[in-house]
Amino acid sequence: MIDSISSCARATTAEEARYRIDRPIAGRSARIIALDASAAQVVLRVAELPWGASKFYSDATAFDIEADLADADVAIMIATAAADAETASSIARACGERGIMTAGLVLGDLADVGDAVSALRPYARNLMVTEDEDDVAAVLIALRA
Amino acid sequence: MLKTEVNELLTQTGPGTPAGNLFRQYWLPALHIEELPENDCPPVRVKILSERLIAFRDSEGRFGLMDEFCAHRGVSLWFGRVEEGGLRCAYHGWKYDVTGQCLEVPSEPENSNFCSKVQLTAYPLVKVGEILWTYMGDPANQPALPEFEFCDVPEEQTYTSKRWQESNWLQALEGGIDSSHVSWLHSGGLKSDPLFKGTKGNEYNLNDLRPFFEVAEADGGLFVGARRNAEDGKYYWRITPYVMPSFTIVPPRGDHPVHGHFWVPIDDENCWVYTFDYHPTRALTKDERQAMKDGYGVHSRNIPGTYRPQENKDVDYLMDREAQKRGETFSGVRGIAQQDASLQESMGPIVNREKERLVSSDTGIIKARQKLRKAVEALRDEGITPPGVDPAHQRVRSAAIVLPQAESFIDSARDAVAVQPGQAHVSV
Repeated sequence: MIDSISSCARATTAEEARYRIDRPIAGRSARIIALDASAAQVVLRVAELPWGASKFYSDATAFDIEADLADADVAIMIATAAADAETASSIARACGERGIMTAGLVLGDLADVGDAVSALRPYARNLMVTEDEDDVAAVLIALRA
Repeated sequence: MLKTEVNELLTQTGPGTPAGNLFRQYWLPALHIEELPENDCPPVRVKILSERLIAFRDSEGRFGLMDEFCAHRGVSLWFGRVEEGGLRCAYHGWKYDVTGQCLEVPSEPENSNFCSKVQLTAYPLVKVGEILWTYMGDPANQPALPEFEFCDVPEEQTYTSKRWQESNWLQALEGGIDSSHVSWLHSGGLKSDPLFKGTKGNEYNLNDLRPFFEVAEADGGLFVGARRNAEDGKYYWRITPYVMPSFTIVPPRGDHPVHGHFWVPIDDENCWVYTFDYHPTRALTKDERQAMKDGYGVHSRNIPGTYRPQENKDVDYLMDREAQKRGETFSGVRGIAQQDASLQESMGPIVNREKERLVSSDTGIIKARQKLRKAVEALRDEGITPPGVDPAHQRVRSAAIVLPQAESFIDSARDAVAVQPGQAHVSV
């Protein structure tokens, strides 16, 4: 039988979308690490929301690279004006060795957080500078953390 | 991942919807000027934000955009006659001016003023650049006219095309914010397209397929920086501005013209894509303009007399598996525009974002959605005017620039991403 409707025309209708396979999607195991004291408060607040396999660290010195990165998919570093570049560097280096993606969120006005952005830039493959604390949760929800 | 209720909040733009109200705060492209080329030319059907409208150009050159259907019996005014300062319904001769005001009801007595009580919903329609723009919101809040640079340069320096995309506006816009797909989907075009090829920036693009991304707030939306390695420990940055609600500019390549898009919802399952190319300091060459007309660069090759691309879903986008195998095109679809559209339409009319699996390189998309959501809610709950309405927010440029590693792309490129009349764009 010759079908007069193209494959793409048939496949892209709303009706056909109903037949997409509905396989459960596993969440990402994220490590959310505060790099300074103000960021720690943010991390503590966000950690109170319901999350999956992700873990939150309000004190970067308590982050045990060997143990805490063992089953991680992504490390997200949170900073404000005073990010600790040395900590960011050691976490990012460890992530690089383990093939773990790194991301950074710097909270504050761009004019005020330049140092933190500079500290994170070499180490966070994806970096967001934002004045909106809600973006931390938005990123984590989007990543199914 | 985006929860269904947020997805619906952002993708539904009909009358009375929160995102529809957001779009109704802005001047939006409604038609290409070529659609109403002369006074008293035929009227044109237009659908924007799920409203059926008719556009016409009267005997005095005034542009009108109003309810498509005659107030009398609801017939389409597309069949009407544009004559003597108005649009006359073909059924019983009711005549309307560009404001939607009824001027004549021929069946009424000669001295009747009944027509003064008949008014169709109408919106302003104003030419800026090669586009006819409309504002569909509260007339009391009508903002100043748009000041995007591509509309502001002399006409010999700019070119705008238009195409129909069969998907919701948001998944189309997100393609413009997500530059990580360029090195894959459009890799063929970087080597061969006459409006892209032959630049140093292309080498950086193709030599580093794992860019770092940086997203920063802008007054009107965002700047998304994609960073790749360059020589001598420097970084090559491609900076994409996003101006709310749905405007992006692609970072330039060499001295090629700069291009970008404006996505306008037709309804919730279709959108118009207005695509422009302009050069801030010189006229487009004859060859460049012809290449744009032929569907190169980010323009489409449309079916003559329509805005439907030749590579559309009904012909499987003219998929060429041999070209795909040879590497001329990565996906087998010709042209940057339809490479994007084919994949975005394959998601379905409105993609279910609960089923997606975003990664951290999608940060630009995540932030853009968040900005849209916050703007929709702030307008709905507090009446706050959204970013991007102020023309000052629109006077931004994209840039491609090589910077020392220690420098912040947004600090060092602050001048490069602002419109500087008479100065060339910053490009590599």
